Amino acid sequence: MYEELGGENFEIITVAQDTLGEEATAEWHEKSPLTYTTLIDTAHRVSSLYNLVNVPSGVWVDEEGNILRIDEGTYSEPIPFGNNVFVGTDDYRPAVRDWVMNGPKSRYVLTSNEVAAQIRRRTPDEALAEPTFKLGVYFFRQGNEDLGRSYWEAAQALFPDSWNFHRQDWNLTEGLGGPKYREKRGDLGEKPYYKPFDFPEEP
Amino acid sequence: MRRERMASMRWVFVAFAAIAVGLSTSVDVFADSVTVLYDDQVIEIEETLSDPNDLWVLPEDLPRVNGFELKPEGACLLELCVPVLQDRDSEMFVRRDGQGWFNVTALSRKLQQAYRLDHEHKVWSFGEIPVVRRAFLNSAIAPDFELPNREGELVRLSDFRGKKVLIVTWASW
Repeated sequence: MYEELGGENFEIITVAQDTLGEEATAEWHEKSPLTYTTLIDTAHRVSSLYNLVNVPSGVWVDEEGNILRIDEGTYSEPIPFGNNVFVGTDDYRPAVRDWVMNGPKSRYVLTSNEVAAQIRRRTPDEALAEPTFKLGVYFFRQGNEDLGRSYWEAAQALFPDSWNFHRQDWNLTEGLGGPKYREKRGDLGEKPYYKPFDFPEEP
Repeated sequence: MRRERMASMRWVFVAFAAIAVGLSTSVDVFADSVTVLYDDQVIEIEETLSDPNDLWVLPEDLPRVNGFELKPEGACLLELCVPVLQDRDSEMFVRRDGQGWFNVTALSRKLQQAYRLDHEHKVWSFGEIPVVRRAFLNSAIAPDFELPNREGELVRLSDFRGKKVLIVTWASW
């Protein structure tokens, strides 16, 4: 998509949200031949600022710095996960393309009021989870993994809806998609793992 | 005679008191270097007042801690100013031996900014300041951020002003 649309008027910034930094993400970056802007975010700064709770999440920002869409799972194509197609959609890419081509006239562009209504609001406990998680990152990176993990667990208890907090921790304890992850996915029931797209109907 | 002994006892007491005060002053001011985590920065602060519940810093350290600056009218960040009395001791400001100290955590409570302290390592971690985030929460203005790229160069979102930007968070996990 970047090859097709990137350049003068459009930029993709990928934010790699990994406490281990480049150590964890280099392999993935090497696989990608593209030259979009790739940033390293060891303390989940962007998720903290934009009130995001899972990855991948997308935010559209216009030329003046206004948010036009926020907080949507952006797998650009269905990703097989286990025996079923589990995450991902073909719907997102055409929407981005439409926006890049048509700018404010794109039917996918939301007003600032509509975007503001979609921003997740944090409870006091969820707000406290953010500095708690950052303490965990700090101690983890200091080499004090036990203490780091205890703050991560405290952050998860304060903010159980943040998949970012769970998955960063569980990945380092039991690897990708381990039992705790599967159990919590199973517990979701009707609740969506990503907020579903709310795209307008075809005209 | 008795009077003289009383006097000398008094001097001994004064001397001890002076030593004690001297010790406690040095502990108060110098022994508590702390680490502050805010806005993705790790900030080392050399001098704080010793207080297990609050973070007191020198006014000149305040901008490094959270971007605020102590002015005659109060603690200010951009157009926001929180009034702070500075001609007498208050919850947010005290004077010790002529030196002013600012209570960062009292400001946080006033602004409903979440924070958490690791007592053992003296690490204070601060969350986002809600009032600073009004433009984001109410008007959907994209908060600026600065992060390193793979080469370690710092890149800001605002570097791309004039372009459409798709931000995508992802992780290896």
